[in-house]
Amino acid sequence: MPSRPPVQQPPDVRVRSTEVRVRSQGPRRRSSYRGYVYVLPAFAVYFCFAVLPALHTAYLSLFEWDGVTLGDWVGLGNYQEILQDPILRRSVLNALVLVVFFSFIPIVVGLAMTGLLARFRRPGMGAYRFLFMLPQVVPLVAVGVTWRWLYGDDGLVNQTFRAVGLDGVTRAWLGDFGAALIAVGLVGTWVLSGLCMMLFLSGVQKVDPSLYEAARIDGAGPIREFVSITLPHLRGELAVAMTVTTVAALASFDIVYVTTNGGPGEQTTVPGLLVYRLAFSEGKVGLAAALAVVLGCLILGIVYLINRLSRSES
Amino acid sequence: MMERTHRVRRRVAATVCAAALVLPLTACDALTPGSAAAVPGPRSVPSSTAVPDGDITLRLQFADAPLMVDALIAAFEKGHPNISVEPQYKTFSDYVQNLKLTMTSDTAPDIAQYAVGMTDLAADGHILDLAPYREAYGWDRAIPPVSLDQLTAGQTSEATGGRALFGVPAGLSMTGIYYNKELAKKAGIDGPPKTVAEFENQLAAAEDADLTPLGVGALDSGGLHLWAALLNQLMPTDDYWDWVNGTKGATIETQAAVTASKLVIDWGRKGYYNDSANGTAQVDSTAQFAKGDSVFLVNGNWAAGQLATVMGDNVGFFPMPGEQASSPTVASGFSVSYAVSSRTEHPEAAGAFLDFLTTPEAGQIISDNGFMPPNPDAVKKPEGVLADIAEGHRRAVADDGITTFPDFAAPAMLDRLRSGVQKLIANRIDPSDYLDSLQDEWEEHHAE
Repeated sequence: MPSRPPVQQPPDVRVRSTEVRVRSQGPRRRSSYRGYVYVLPAFAVYFCFAVLPALHTAYLSLFEWDGVTLGDWVGLGNYQEILQDPILRRSVLNALVLVVFFSFIPIVVGLAMTGLLARFRRPGMGAYRFLFMLPQVVPLVAVGVTWRWLYGDDGLVNQTFRAVGLDGVTRAWLGDFGAALIAVGLVGTWVLSGLCMMLFLSGVQKVDPSLYEAARIDGAGPIREFVSITLPHLRGELAVAMTVTTVAALASFDIVYVTTNGGPGEQTTVPGLLVYRLAFSEGKVGLAAALAVVLGCLILGIVYLINRLSRSES
Repeated sequence: MMERTHRVRRRVAATVCAAALVLPLTACDALTPGSAAAVPGPRSVPSSTAVPDGDITLRLQFADAPLMVDALIAAFEKGHPNISVEPQYKTFSDYVQNLKLTMTSDTAPDIAQYAVGMTDLAADGHILDLAPYREAYGWDRAIPPVSLDQLTAGQTSEATGGRALFGVPAGLSMTGIYYNKELAKKAGIDGPPKTVAEFENQLAAAEDADLTPLGVGALDSGGLHLWAALLNQLMPTDDYWDWVNGTKGATIETQAAVTASKLVIDWGRKGYYNDSANGTAQVDSTAQFAKGDSVFLVNGNWAAGQLATVMGDNVGFFPMPGEQASSPTVASGFSVSYAVSSRTEHPEAAGAFLDFLTTPEAGQIISDNGFMPPNPDAVKKPEGVLADIAEGHRRAVADDGITTFPDFAAPAMLDRLRSGVQKLIANRIDPSDYLDSLQDEWEEHHAE
C-alpha cells in the first residue's frame, strides 16, 4: 500500500468521518461473516490436514528426535545446524538451478507453443495438445524411471547421438558430474512445458477475437500480434505458471529421488531429498522438520515475491 | 496515526492468536515426540523351548527373497500345525524407511527381518533379547559364531549376563568379484587372482585386450562394495569392526583406508571401470555383465542366481584377494535374519520359528534359493558359480573374515559412502577429505 502524507484535518471532521465509516460498514460486515460460514467446512478440513500438521512440524523442529525414543528439546538448535551445513547450502543452490529448467524454460516453451497454436486452427491440433499434456498425467516416479533408462549407457539419448555421429558427446548423463543436474532439470522441462502451454492456451481463449481481427486489419504480423495482444492478456496465467513451476522446482523430490538419488556426489541433491533422508533413513526427525520449515518459508517468500511482481506490473 | 495504531493492534492480536495456538502445544506433555512409544507386552524371552498348544498366528514382516520365505513358512507349518505364519512382504526401501514406525506401533509384527535401524530399536527395548533361547535351543552349535555376532548390536544380555542376541540368520550374504570366463581367457587371464597386485595386473590385461575390465554400478550402493572390498583387505579386521560397531576412539582416517580409497581413484584414472559407473545402477551393471560387457563385476551373492541362469558355466566368483596369497579371506556380508518384537504375544512360537531356521531342512531351502545357509555342512553341495561362492564364504568364515557393510556404522553413513565413492570413481575428491567426511558422520552419531 503506498504511504500517504498525513493530512491535517480539524478534529470534528475526523470524528465524523470515522462515524460514517463505522455506520457504512454495518451491513457489509454481517454479510462478510456469512461468507465465513460458507468456507468453514473447507477451512476445517484444511486446518486439520494442512495447518495442524504444519504447526506440528514446526513444533517437532524444536526437538532432537530419532523417531522412536523420547525427544530432547533443543530450541532453535536444529535451525542453527542447518544454516551451517555445507551440503544443505549446496542443495539450495541446486534447487535454484532447477528453477531455470522447471520454470523459466517451460514458460518460454509454453509461450512459443501458444504463439504457434493459438492463431491457426488446423486439424490434428487436439492430438498435438494431448501429446504435450501427456507428461502431466503420468506419475512422476514413472517419469523418473523412464528417463533413467533414456539417459542410460545404451539409452535412447546416447543411441540418438551415436546415430548422428556425435559419439564424443555420449556419456552416462545421470552419472556425469557436469551433466547430471542439467539432465535432471530437462526431465522437469519436459514435464512442465505442457502444463504451461495448457495454461496459456486457456488464457488466450478468453481474449476477445475482435482484438486479433483489428490487429490483422491494422497489418500486424504474427509476432506483433503475439507481443501486443496475446502476451499482455496472459499476465495472470504467467503468474500462475511461475508460481506452480517454481514451487515444483524448489520442492522437487520424486524425479531426483528416482533418477539420481542426489548423486553423483552431491551434484543433484535438493532440499526435498534431504528432508526425506534425514527423517526416514537417518533418524533425525527434528532436523528434517526444521529443514522442511526453512524450505517452506523459502517457497512462501518466493511465491509472495512472484505475486507481488505480477500484481505491480498489471 | 490512526492507521498505524490499527496496524499495531492487528499485529498484537495476530501474535496473541499464534501464541494461543502454540502454547498449549508446548505445555502438553503428551505431544513431546516419542513419549507414546513405551513398550507394552513381554520384555524377555522364556528360557524353555516349549510351545503352548492352541491356535497361534504369527505375523512376519520381511523385505528379501519372498520365494524363500514362503517355502520356509510352508515347511515350518508342516511341523507345527497349530502355528500359522502370515507373511507380510514389503520392498526393501519401503521396509527400511518404515521400520522404526512399524516396530514401535501397537500393530508391530511378531517377527521382522533384521535391518540397519534394528540397533536403535534393540537399544530401546523394542526387540527381544533372544540370549535365553540361544542357550535353550543351542544355537551356538547350529550357527557359526561370526553370523551371530553380527546380531548382538554390540550389547550384553540383561537376561543371561552374556552376549545379547537380537536375531537369527537364515541365509547369509557376501560380496566379491564375478568374472566372465570366456572374456578372461581372451585377455590371457587364467584364473582367480591370489593377490590384489595380481588382480590389478589382470585388470590391466583386460584393458590391453580392449575389453572393459571391471563393471561397477555406483549409481546406488554398488560403488560401496568395491571400496569396502579393498578396505577389507588393507585395514586390520579388528579396527574395521571397532569402527562399524562405534567403539570409542575408533577411526576410519587410517593409512590403510587412504590406500584403499586411492586404489579406487587409480583404477578409475586408468579406465578400468565401465565408462558410466556413476550413472549405472547395481542391477543394470549386473545385466550388462551378463551380456558380456565387462570381464569382472563387483557385486554380492544375491546376484548369483540371475548370473548362473543367464551365463551358465561361463561365470565364476572369487572374494577380493588380500595383499599376500597367505592373507586371510575377508569380505563384507550380512544375513537375511529375523528378529522378534517385544510386543509379541507369542514369544514361544516365534522362538520355535527361529529355531526351525537353523535346521538342515531350512538350510536346504535357503541354499536352493541362492543364499548360503548358516550351517553349510548340512546341505547338498551346490554347483557352478554357487559352488565358488560357497567355497569363498567357507574360507571367509574359517578366517573369521565376514564383516558387516560399512554403512552399518551410522544411519546416515550410506549417503556419505555413496556420494563419496562416486567422487572417488570420478577422481573429484582427495582420499583424506573423503575419509574425513565419513569420520565426521561417525562422530556425530556416536557422540552420545
